Amino acid sequence: MPPAVHGDVDLTDSSAQSRSRALNQFLASVELRAFKIAQAGLRHEDDALDAVQDAMLQLSRAYADRPAEEWKPLFYRILENRIRDMQRRRTVRGRVIAWLPHRGEDEEDEPDPIAQAPSLEPQPVKRLELDEAMGALEKALGGLPRRQQQAFLLRTLEGMDVAETATAMGCSQGSVKTHYFRAVQALRAQLGEFYL
Amino acid sequence: MSPVEESVTDFERNARTVLQESVLRIDARTRSRLNQARHAALEAALAPRSSWWRSFTLMPAAGAAAAALLVAVTLWHREPAGELPVLAAQAASVEDMDLLTDSEGLDLMEGGDGSFYEWAAAQAENGASDG
Repeated sequence: MPPAVHGDVDLTDSSAQSRSRALNQFLASVELRAFKIAQAGLRHEDDALDAVQDAMLQLSRAYADRPAEEWKPLFYRILENRIRDMQRRRTVRGRVIAWLPHRGEDEEDEPDPIAQAPSLEPQPVKRLELDEAMGALEKALGGLPRRQQQAFLLRTLEGMDVAETATAMGCSQGSVKTHYFRAVQALRAQLGEFYL
Repeated sequence: MSPVEESVTDFERNARTVLQESVLRIDARTRSRLNQARHAALEAALAPRSSWWRSFTLMPAAGAAAAALLVAVTLWHREPAGELPVLAAQAASVEDMDLLTDSEGLDLMEGGDGSFYEWAAAQAENGASDG
């Protein structure tokens, strides 16, 4: 029987060391997309990083022994719960802060030189088109209900199938299809058929 | 073939391209922080877990339960079989405490001063014979 493979992760090795390596590979393979998904939900870079870190920690602690093919939906389920918790906490905090006197922006950090470091980027014209499309898509995504946003990102960005998405979202496959369809309809209504 | 690609429209394909591009453009600082977070998570997963009875969360409850049990057992054993009132038992325990905390009593015991007891006994006998 050929070895079961989940992305780049070999699922057949069961020793603890290899399991840790496999988990590392899995987390490395999803962390950037997970960050984008968390960022879309929280609209805050540090909060998104915290959410991804918490999800990594919980997956590693509680579910490392589970079959590797279950990791992805479990990881995104944990991440989604974390995002929801942070959104709720933020809502409560916002209500409390609304009653407090206004604070200035004196605590603003100095710009981090590492953050300014350029990454691999396409040609200038293409880059401009992508920048515009990215900005428009992210703005439109931000306006979607959270469940639609989640279904769209898990399927389109993470490439999960309906069954995996349903596990990650904790709902039926029918609900996933509905959320995804509505998300596509809403985004298309806002953005049109944007071509690249 | 991914199910997402089964019947994707141009819109979905373009959206996917844009989203993937946005992932590629995540800056070095964020990538570094994600990398650190991953290693921290894996280290935490590999660290040996403490047993439930060592858990800090259970220690206060366990301590309180043990203290309550100790007090209950102590009181139960102290309570005489007879009809001694509770107040008398409490007074006796207070006296016991006095004896235990009295440094003079301990000094006498440790010093092994037997002559004092002989003298006290002789005084008592003399008193009885005089009287």
